Amino acid sequence: MTQQFDYPPDREADSAAKVRALEALLIEKGVITPTTVDKVLGYFESEMTPLNGKKIVARAWVDPAFAELLANDTPAAIAQLDLPQGMAGAEGEHIAAVINQPGVHNLVICTLCSCFPWPVLGLPPYWYKDPTFRARAAREPRTVLTELGVPLDDTTEVRVWDASGHSRWFVVPARPAGTEGWTEEQLAGLVTTESMIGVAIVPPPPIEAGTAR
Amino acid sequence: MSASADLTYDESGRVRFHDSCVTDANQPQFEEEWQRRAFGLAVALSEFGHYRWDEFQGGLIRAIGEWEATAGNTMSWEYYDHWVEALVRVVNDHGLLDDGYVGPRDREDDHEGR
Repeated sequence: MTQQFDYPPDREADSAAKVRALEALLIEKGVITPTTVDKVLGYFESEMTPLNGKKIVARAWVDPAFAELLANDTPAAIAQLDLPQGMAGAEGEHIAAVINQPGVHNLVICTLCSCFPWPVLGLPPYWYKDPTFRARAAREPRTVLTELGVPLDDTTEVRVWDASGHSRWFVVPARPAGTEGWTEEQLAGLVTTESMIGVAIVPPPPIEAGTAR
Repeated sequence: MSASADLTYDESGRVRFHDSCVTDANQPQFEEEWQRRAFGLAVALSEFGHYRWDEFQGGLIRAIGEWEATAGNTMSWEYYDHWVEALVRVVNDHGLLDDGYVGPRDREDDHEGR
């Protein structure tokens, strides 16, 4: 635990008060209704979750043509799947997949703000937004990956993708060994949010194959 | 709880990453309800056409850039403080709270958010 990143409680109270006041004023002026924010949040929290990304990755693992389209035209590939509406909306239209292959590992960071591909990954884990993580991952990705449990040999190229307003990257991790013949649903259960950011690999399933979450 | 209560550092000052990096614990996305509302408000206003998402995002990039340029190692980091700053800015820039503000619905007959 460190004090470096702690902040005074009044600062938080200040931001909290600003948000409360702003929402109240917008309601009072008729710009939004008292239920607008809850409706939008409800949609995000129920529909725009990592489950979407997991389904996309699983399809890419079983269907090479889909994987190719996903790499070349990510929104078109996503549109082929039965995913919630809004995937191609304000945050979905710039989504771009990068695919891990033998000799290539992809890592997604954002050096300015958290331009996270919400529709497929849900909201970002808070460490992703930490400036220290962002700075170090940009400067020494190989070291950071090793610390996170993704040791890469020297022949593997690390490609760091810097998310921006124009492109929101997500990673299609490598399919683990020992999953031959698995259904898409089983495969999707193996995929983690972290693997789709590139800070983890998808480990091979335990011996009792077929019991994936 | 502070947003960074779980951050720890080794002797060289490097961050030790949170367990959720490798456990897919379906991470805590908001530490406080006000952060959740700030997020929802920014998205809602964009979804209903009051500003384009990239206009909010530009404000967020500026707010964080200013923090990075001036903070040194002493100021603390709270992502959603910057978020709120950007939100207030974009709301003011677009005059959402001004008298006589005309929302997108009233500007175009066939447009309802999207």
